Amino acid sequence: MYISKVEVALRKYCWIGLLSAKSNLAYWPEVVSRLLFLVVILYIFLRLWQMTYAHLGASELGGMTIAQMLWYLTITEAIAMSGPRGSQLVDEDVRTGAIAVQLLKPFSYPLYRLSTNIVERVVRFAINLLCGAIVSLSFVGPLTIDWFILPLSGLTILLAFVIDFLAQFCIGLGAFWLEDTSGLLLIYSRLTMILGGLLMPIELFPEILQRIAHALPFWTVYGVAKILVKGQLLPALYLVAAQIFTICSLMLVATLIYSFAMRRVASHGG
Amino acid sequence: MTKLLAQFHNYLKLVFCYSVVNLKSQMEYRGAFLSQVLSMLFNNCVWVLFWTIFYSKYAVLKGWSIKDVVTLWAVACAGFGIAHAFCGNALHLPVLIMRGQLDAWLLYPRRLLPHLLLGKMSAPSIGDAIFGFSTYFVLICPDLTHAILFVGLSIAVAFAYIGFSIFTGSLAFFIGNAEILAEQLRGSLITFSTFPPSLFEGWFKIVLFTVIPAAYVSYLPVDALHNMSAISALETLAGSAAVLLVGVSMFAFGLRRYESGNLMEMRG
Repeated sequence: MYISKVEVALRKYCWIGLLSAKSNLAYWPEVVSRLLFLVVILYIFLRLWQMTYAHLGASELGGMTIAQMLWYLTITEAIAMSGPRGSQLVDEDVRTGAIAVQLLKPFSYPLYRLSTNIVERVVRFAINLLCGAIVSLSFVGPLTIDWFILPLSGLTILLAFVIDFLAQFCIGLGAFWLEDTSGLLLIYSRLTMILGGLLMPIELFPEILQRIAHALPFWTVYGVAKILVKGQLLPALYLVAAQIFTICSLMLVATLIYSFAMRRVASHGG
Repeated sequence: MTKLLAQFHNYLKLVFCYSVVNLKSQMEYRGAFLSQVLSMLFNNCVWVLFWTIFYSKYAVLKGWSIKDVVTLWAVACAGFGIAHAFCGNALHLPVLIMRGQLDAWLLYPRRLLPHLLLGKMSAPSIGDAIFGFSTYFVLICPDLTHAILFVGLSIAVAFAYIGFSIFTGSLAFFIGNAEILAEQLRGSLITFSTFPPSLFEGWFKIVLFTVIPAAYVSYLPVDALHNMSAISALETLAGSAAVLLVGVSMFAFGLRRYESGNLMEMRG
């Protein structure tokens, strides 16, 4: 009986997620314009790193060749640009009062947001990665991947999405107390971008920044890129452990914030 | 000539009045306003810090110095900030067109486009403007000539940004839901304008003077400030005017296709 309830719940949230992904894909001009922007970003970074490698006369920087560097950026940009508006949707639900209606429905609001966010993001990520891979293939050629690392990388990508969702969910719930959460979201996204290694591997930062970046959890969002590019098993396992720890911590924080937030929900009849 | 000056004076008064009203309406939610301004300041500081560290480590600027990179960010941010602090509705143009919300603006006894653009203020853009000006004056420490040139070029760059926002927003007249496309095109302009021009060569440079006019928004102004080049300054002015003209023409052409919707709304 218990297993059957879990199965029912899983199916319910999977269907919710799939419906959300389908409706998102219906807006294909949005998908196309996002891909165009991805191509623009990859072109700019290709030129930047080509000049950097040429200027230094180096074949490798931070243990990566120019081809690996561009593939690294392809993966990080595919992750970054796959993010749906998690925090803004929660913020809108709170401000418009729609959360009160959502709470009446026969599912958990956080799990509903999680399922829509993750499934939508997986679909967007796949499209971004495909487009980015075509760009990288044409600019720098193929990437040599150690195939054994792929399943683990898939897991780390999913865990990275969960981490990002939990952080954005906490920010979105800030709407119960703050007049505006867009500022917090901007600060969060910049910190993740810089200290997470979106624009360049953390190993290329100055020493002190590297230590700060590794001490904070932002690197767990984009850390998979280095794993895939370099094909390193031990760092991959370390990343998974760090991600699980980050998820547990964020879940605790999100649960606390959500429980305080629910006390502030007031529904009126009429 | 007198009539033209009187009209110009009249529009300046309109700009002033709308700016005061918009600022007051933003200040009604002070917490939100301050958080948006401060977070944009933080955002820009992080970017400048990151690129300063990068270009200090990897000197790939080809004739540019770190000072030029800081100037590039200052001019781009100041221009963007001025543009959308005063003409905040330029960012929302596709949505206004798509939802038939031009109707309310069409009824006013004012030219549609400038009046429409002035109707809103973008709070984060104020953070951009503050960042741009304070970065240039505090970090670069310009003399009086450079300071005056910077202010003048920032205003010219603002017109370029407004023109590009109008152009991309007016795509909604032709393709309907152009909100995301306009956002991505604006993002592309901002992205290209915050990288040194030495990265781009050959045919791509033509793109930066035409389709994505990043050259008029950052490269030429920085060159004008670095070399005190009157030619680069005039090219910036001419380019910005051209971008604005193209944007306004696109809007005027698209407006002929505009159909009023049944949307009822009130404006306070």
